[in-house]
Amino acid sequence: MRILVVEDEHKTADYLCKGLGESGYSVEVARDGFDAQHLINESEFDLVILDVMLPGLNGWQLLELIRRRSQVPVLFLTAKDAVEDRVKGLELGADDYLVKPFSFVELLARVRTLLRRSPPREREHFRVADLEMDVLRRRVTRKGERIALTNKEFALLELLLDRESEVLSRTYIASRVWQMNFDSDTNVVEVAVRRLRAKVDDPFTQKLIHTERGMGYVLEDRS
Amino acid sequence: MLAINSLATRLSLLFALVSMLLLGSIGTYLYHSLTREIAWRDDQMLQGRLERLEAILSNGESVDMLQHRSHLYANMMGNRDNLLWILDNTGQTLIEVNPSDLPVPNLPTTNTVRLMETAGPVQARLAWHTFEQEGRPLTLIAGKLLDERNQMLRAYRLRLWFALAIGALLAFLLGWGVSRHGLQPLRRLIEQANRINIRQLDRRLDVTGEAQEISNLSHGLNRMLDRLEDGFSQLSRYSADMAHELRTPLTNLLGQTQHALRRERSDAEYRQVLESNIEEYERLSRMIDSMLFLARTESPSRKLICDSVDLGEMVLQLCEYFEGMAEDGARALINEASGTVVANHDLIRTALANLIANALRHGSPGTPIHISTMDLGERIKLCVHNHGPIISPDDLTKVFERFYRGDPARSGVVDSGGLGLAIVHSIAQWHDGEVQVESNAEDGTTFSLTLLRA
Repeated sequence: MRILVVEDEHKTADYLCKGLGESGYSVEVARDGFDAQHLINESEFDLVILDVMLPGLNGWQLLELIRRRSQVPVLFLTAKDAVEDRVKGLELGADDYLVKPFSFVELLARVRTLLRRSPPREREHFRVADLEMDVLRRRVTRKGERIALTNKEFALLELLLDRESEVLSRTYIASRVWQMNFDSDTNVVEVAVRRLRAKVDDPFTQKLIHTERGMGYVLEDRS
Repeated sequence: MLAINSLATRLSLLFALVSMLLLGSIGTYLYHSLTREIAWRDDQMLQGRLERLEAILSNGESVDMLQHRSHLYANMMGNRDNLLWILDNTGQTLIEVNPSDLPVPNLPTTNTVRLMETAGPVQARLAWHTFEQEGRPLTLIAGKLLDERNQMLRAYRLRLWFALAIGALLAFLLGWGVSRHGLQPLRRLIEQANRINIRQLDRRLDVTGEAQEISNLSHGLNRMLDRLEDGFSQLSRYSADMAHELRTPLTNLLGQTQHALRRERSDAEYRQVLESNIEEYERLSRMIDSMLFLARTESPSRKLICDSVDLGEMVLQLCEYFEGMAEDGARALINEASGTVVANHDLIRTALANLIANALRHGSPGTPIHISTMDLGERIKLCVHNHGPIISPDDLTKVFERFYRGDPARSGVVDSGGLGLAIVHSIAQWHDGEVQVESNAEDGTTFSLTLLRA
């Protein structure tokens, strides 16, 4: 999977390059609009991460150029969180956006979603270690024992299972489980995860839900 | 000095215009009455002359005798202005005094005295009358050339124009002096206003002994300065508070990172520092978001996009969101809200979330939190009520200020950084709504948000 990062800020570009590289993507970096245009014309990419404020050709112009020749997914980064900016980006054909400052976990989650070309299949059954979920019958069991969950706890567990081994940020969890698209500064997600753990993990020796401090939560079998 | 946009110049021009109008109308009036008076007197004189002539002729004097007794009308002879004709019924001139050689006028016969003005290069006023002497009709014509009168009136007119011009000029100059003098208080006001700057925002315009208009203006300006000073000091306080708030996470970041670098440490230790740093960065990021949000909502340049928002549904959603937190403190969130308001969905949800988070933060464990609505006719009042420590009356006015914390010890990472209620306040203001707080020992604390009904 080849990703083009168009970013003029050196530190940002470097860490995006390293981070995405470690996550298994091959990354090219363009420092300005003209470089980016050149690279896009020369080779094929699976995803473009585009900073809007660029020297030379700005992000919007570049986006228009990209859209003229390919349907490659574009994720744009903006420092302005004015609504007009986001609307403009999406109207010009971008697929998603992130407002700076964003967390790397958040970026990774968006990148994965965009690269998963086909819409995700609704899964009906999950199994991680001895944890099982039957989505249709709304049944969760561990070691064959039935665990009773509230609606939101069920939704949270389903999300964690669906994105198994992916670190999910609090903001992402809040937006998927509660449809809360604002960045809440309360510890709602922490509390919800703690309550879910009390039911799913605490009575058992093997823990499945892990906290990645400062980043979010992940469900995986680490044994 | 005579700038056209100066008040003094405009006033003096107005003075000049007014006095020109005034002097002009008086002059016109006087001129016309004078003209009428002179014409009347001339006509009287002409009629008198006809009467005298008729009297002489009636006394038996014949026209022939009159022709020889020219002394009777000699006083007319040296005078080039006077005219006299006596005509018989055939139009034959019997007597003529006509120094300007006017043609003999051809006039209709009349038994009463009639008056007219001749046209032509030499104007004259004529009075005539037909009169019968011994069975013979005679036409008596007396006249006066208008030259002299016209000349006199022309000179008079000229003098009037001159007086008008001088008058207007004087009015302008006087007006200028008066205006400049009258505007003196304004100049003093300007001097005072010039002395007020950012460092001396507490200075006010002195109004003692000024004219009413000026003191009214000064009062208005002083009130404006009060508001500006308030806003300004609030802003500087915000900046100071903001800097202070930013300093805390920065101190942590700097300190713990430097401490970690002082010697070699285990991976786990480095990891711990980095993780802790992330928490501080997140705190900084949230604070910046909130401040940006406040800055944007308070600049009214953007229009608020509103639609109708079902409060019952929104509160239900938020109750689900906060359910876990509430149950942690053995509290129940009770949704008694209903009704639809006109509002921006996301902003109202943020405001409500902040109010509920605030209630959860300050409510006593084991007590319920009620979210209810009250019908106020055109408006709906949304109340978030919690039991717990009351807010002192002093603090009630301050809770909506930025960075205000009732209890400084209560701040923490999960705190809104003292901006949560300020955000609620500014969202309410953007909606032309109202936000209030009541707190007492019996009823607990209620925050309310009043919005327009859909």
